[in-house]
Amino acid sequence: MGEITELLTLMIPAMVPFLLAAQGTVLSGRAGVFNVSQEGLMVLGAAVGFLVSFKVGSNTVGMAAAFAIAGVFGLVLAYMTTQLRLDQFVVGLALYFAALGAAGLLYREVIGVTMEPPLIPTLEDKPIPLLSDIPFLGEVLFDHDLVVYLAFAISVAIWWFMYKTRSGLAFRSIGENPKAADSLGINVTWARTWSTVVGSGLVGMAGAYLPMVYTGLYTEGMVAGRGWLVIALAFLGGWRPHLVIAGAAFFAGMEVLALRAQVAGIGIPHQFVLMLPYVATLLVMVFAFRWARQPSFLGRNYDRESRLVG
Amino acid sequence: MTAPPATPPAAPEAAGPRRVADALWLVVPSVLSVVAAFAVGGLIILALGQDPVAAFESVLTTSFNTRFGTVETLHKWVPVLLCAYAFAIPLATGKFNIGAEGQLLVGATGGVAIGILWSDLPMLVLLPCVLVAGALAGAVWSGIAAVLMVKFNVNEILSTVVLNFISFQLIDYVASHVWPDRGAGHPATVRVGEGALLPGIGQAPPLHSGVIITLVLVVAIAIFMRRTSTGFEMRAVGANLRAAQVHGIRTSRLAGAGLVVGGAVAGLAGAIEVAGVHGKMLEGMQSNFLILGIIVGLMSRGSMIAIPFIAFGIAVLEVGAGSMQRTAQVPVEMVLIIEALILLFLLLSDIARAKLRRN
Repeated sequence: MGEITELLTLMIPAMVPFLLAAQGTVLSGRAGVFNVSQEGLMVLGAAVGFLVSFKVGSNTVGMAAAFAIAGVFGLVLAYMTTQLRLDQFVVGLALYFAALGAAGLLYREVIGVTMEPPLIPTLEDKPIPLLSDIPFLGEVLFDHDLVVYLAFAISVAIWWFMYKTRSGLAFRSIGENPKAADSLGINVTWARTWSTVVGSGLVGMAGAYLPMVYTGLYTEGMVAGRGWLVIALAFLGGWRPHLVIAGAAFFAGMEVLALRAQVAGIGIPHQFVLMLPYVATLLVMVFAFRWARQPSFLGRNYDRESRLVG
Repeated sequence: MTAPPATPPAAPEAAGPRRVADALWLVVPSVLSVVAAFAVGGLIILALGQDPVAAFESVLTTSFNTRFGTVETLHKWVPVLLCAYAFAIPLATGKFNIGAEGQLLVGATGGVAIGILWSDLPMLVLLPCVLVAGALAGAVWSGIAAVLMVKFNVNEILSTVVLNFISFQLIDYVASHVWPDRGAGHPATVRVGEGALLPGIGQAPPLHSGVIITLVLVVAIAIFMRRTSTGFEMRAVGANLRAAQVHGIRTSRLAGAGLVVGGAVAGLAGAIEVAGVHGKMLEGMQSNFLILGIIVGLMSRGSMIAIPFIAFGIAVLEVGAGSMQRTAQVPVEMVLIIEALILLFLLLSDIARAKLRRN
């Protein structure tokens, strides 16, 4: 029992980067903007979040800065795809490169080469009063840092907005049939713009969480492909915020298990253990793409003057 | 009396300026995009408190100042170019292959396996086997993504990326368990047999002959895309999926084939890196070729002919980046930012050109 509690307790914070970034991806995706710059935005978010926290001395400010800078990249993506109608994948990839370059440049300029890598304080656990006293559940769910609660709150908020409000219904219709939405007076461009800015900002925050949660260090390659897995996660969850939570648990669970198996040494070379999350992702996607829905206008630009839709 | 027909001599004249105008519409925006990207990059360098003129001078001249720089540039050109093809060939059918680095690494694994296992064979037999094994291994690796895409409808962006991360662990395993070089202090295999090495051209430092293989491949790919029916079908699918389907082209099978061919090219790049540069397989040998290949592929915007030239330009920038950091104290990442800016400005120039020409 102790072992399982411990694994689950580790899994919850491991879910956070997946959750924040995947909900951000889902948010813009439901309006039809398929962002593929997540990996770059997470790296940039990690670098900016770390550097600002280091200089200002506040993780909160660092996280806000990561949100802001990734949001600016999202604005560029939104402008180039809604106003100029450039290909979403091509612009997304270009922004991925720009973000990678900017992250490396900023770290090297601010920190340079040092003998001792700089450290920021890691986030403190803030147990929720009363709830954290519940045996088992309290320990697993309610004894974490504030960003954990925030990530779950954001997930619920996005789900609430999309499925329980009138404007959420209008919002979702854009990703399915922008022409119909437009004819009902829904502002397609505006919805795509704000959702891409906010969604990208969440991806940046997901990156910023990484140096703040485990070690307080920033290392190149610490994002380690999570940005790409997040896209897989969005597909796996059928672009629905509540299913994405379950998917994030799966990805985080694989990550925690692989690390644990590596530490425990189970007779299999650790390379194969570290492969597992990715192999599992491939296998799961076979089912995800068979069964899960996706917005029908995902990844395509809307031109109101074009007669062809669909 | 013998009035010469007016039209025939006039036709080439009319075509001449038209051709020139077309070429200008192609060249001028591209040059402006590059200049604009360097201008923005220069402003960033100024903001960092460094000298942009000195920085750009070392970026642009390092490749041509010494034989060493030139050889290094050509050695970089080969994998960048092949990874660009690995991206651009599937893109011709509308599919995004983000897996060139995994395909390159698995190709290197295939090449190094043959080079170590059959190390006693003479070069005439062994070297072709190494290169073919590399291409086949790369094709198998991207073939996984192709099967998932064609049979199970799995998005190829995701499957190719995820296969990259699997390949990192795979080569780490090969380099630390199967043929480890314990003395390397870094995951690396033992060296391949002498017969598996590409002969060098010239002296100190020699240029590996993989450059010639690559040149042959450039011509072959251009012919394949322009002159064969499969190449034509691939371009048709990329240009208009619906029209191609209506005309009876089996589009999904073709897209799968595009991925497999792309993987074979990337795998060949891996084998050439083993046989020409390292003489073994080592962790990190994929460098940033994936990103550079994608950048080149996107910059070419569908022109297979442009890819070798763009790849050369990118190789020059990459070789210059290191010396820029040493001499002008501008971080190497600046070059990646400039490359991304060039790409964005090229995309914008397409829109501007379409608008201007219409008026």
